Amino acid sequence: MSSLSESKSSDVNSKKRAISIENLGLVYRTTLDKRPTFKTRIRRLARRKRQTRIVHAVNNLSLEINYGTVLGVIGTNGAGKSSLMRVISGILPPTSGRVEVFGKVSTLLALGVGFNGKLTGRDNLYLGGLAAGMSRAQIESKFDSIVEFAGLEEVIDAPMRTYSSGMYSRLAFSVAISLDPDILIIDEALSAGDARYKVKSLEKVLEMRNQDRVIIIVSHAMKTLKTVCDEVLWLDHGKIVAQGDPTTVIKAYREFLHVGDAPESDEDL
Amino acid sequence: MKPDPASPSVIYQPFTHGLPPLGGYAKSLWARREFIFEYARADLHQKQYGSILGQIWLVINPLILAGVYYLLLIIIGARGGPDRFGHLTGTLFLFYLITNSITAGAKSVTSGAKLILNASFPRLVLPLAETLIAFMKFVPTLVVLFVIHTILGLPYSLHMLWAPVIIVLTLFFAASCAILASIINVYFRDAQNLLPYFSRTLLYLSPVLYTAQSLDANLNFLKVINPLFPILDTWSAVVIRAEAPDPTNLLLALGYSLFLFSIGTFIFLSREREFAVRI
Ligand SMILES: Nc1ncnc2c1ncn2[C@@H]1O[C@H](COP(=O)(O)OP(=O)(O)OP(=O)(O)O)[C@@H](O)[C@H]1O
Ligand SMILES: [Mg+2]
Repeated sequence: MSSLSESKSSDVNSKKRAISIENLGLVYRTTLDKRPTFKTRIRRLARRKRQTRIVHAVNNLSLEINYGTVLGVIGTNGAGKSSLMRVISGILPPTSGRVEVFGKVSTLLALGVGFNGKLTGRDNLYLGGLAAGMSRAQIESKFDSIVEFAGLEEVIDAPMRTYSSGMYSRLAFSVAISLDPDILIIDEALSAGDARYKVKSLEKVLEMRNQDRVIIIVSHAMKTLKTVCDEVLWLDHGKIVAQGDPTTVIKAYREFLHVGDAPESDEDL
Repeated sequence: MKPDPASPSVIYQPFTHGLPPLGGYAKSLWARREFIFEYARADLHQKQYGSILGQIWLVINPLILAGVYYLLLIIIGARGGPDRFGHLTGTLFLFYLITNSITAGAKSVTSGAKLILNASFPRLVLPLAETLIAFMKFVPTLVVLFVIHTILGLPYSLHMLWAPVIIVLTLFFAASCAILASIINVYFRDAQNLLPYFSRTLLYLSPVLYTAQSLDANLNFLKVINPLFPILDTWSAVVIRAEAPDPTNLLLALGYSLFLFSIGTFIFLSREREFAVRI
């Protein structure tokens, strides 16, 4: 690794904008009762009211991300992290605001990798890739290395419902890094792997960091984020609470959670 | 190598309830054709239809149904005979192609929630894949139909070459219905519970248990108001009686398909970006 020339090139490229988000808002509309049905519609019509639960998952958020950045995204459960990633990937249309993307984003998020538990890991991989717009040949050429990196050669032809959560996230991460987009989004795919796999995946991220793309990592694993990120974004209720130097932001986030410097909070859970 | 910072490659903005750019949509749909095939293959494989026994079951199931209905016809005193049994099996198989497509299509979007929330692709592939699955289940029954046709000593003629045209028309029709059913099910989740009654009613309104010729003159309006009528009637004429198709029937079937397809895709395309926040 010739770190000198690489750091130089990343210096030049870091000035290039990758993602520009302006006043972004995203609203989910779900019915109060879990399933919208004729029955409930008619009943509600009779009562003349609409009972929809409106969730402002992302709230008037503005953000600029440049090439050459590894951005960590943190926040409590339900803070809107996954929702923001879905908008950036073009999966969910914004409710308000505007997102500009300069480059190719991974249009398959980790959580979509094992979308059908009845199908085998192999089928899920192919279908996920094809849905995201890859060709069969592209997937075929990457298939072996994905499975090998995940270390799942033995179970790849078993239904995904039989996978452990660690196996699941191994596959998800392995897919994410092999998609090879300019803007890579890793949502929750780093968690649940065992220690050995975690080291392996961290090395991979560090290796990709030098390739001057944008890597966005959503994780609750603070230690990992501190190691690999240039910048950390703290979201809460769909808004940015803090953004900047990983150590500072994570420290503030910890204080907010009242976990202080307890070593458990540092662990990659 | 990296994209030009001056012009974004994609812009995401709030959508109005209009259509997305159709050319771009068609292109990305075409790019997903392999997804549709792979989805159908994986689904059939997972349900064991890849094995010989599974394929036999695919054939035996509708065959038993045809037998049961034939029994019913004899009991209620209808005229029996080989052409009658041929008509019953032939139209029943095609009828199931359509209703299978509707039933599975209805669930396609709601049960694809996990994929919809995590991958960006034209959602129309989901109901279309279900139509393909229904078609792949239909293909082996064609072989059975051919065998029955020969055993019963029913006629053959060059008019039977119309069969592929009618199958394509049926697929077009079935896909349109699947698209419509999938949207209805997003907004009304109990719609799929009503489907068995719906398809049962359709069966009785269609020339399956009876023939179009034997229909009471008072009921002739069924020939026009039931979209399935012209398709099944033509199918029976071409495949069982080996006659030329009635052009009125063909045009009517095409008209219905085009109509349902336009409505279905219009609603689907103008609403599909909203699916993800609703399921
Ligand atoms: N499909 C959906 N329909 C309705 N509401 C949703 C949907 N997905 C998420 N939400 C809501 O949007 C908010 C943000 O959810 P999101 O999944 O973005 O959180 P997150 O930060 O990724 O949380 P976690 O750390 O648990 O992954 C939550 O209040 C959640 O209830
Ligand atoms: Mg999440």
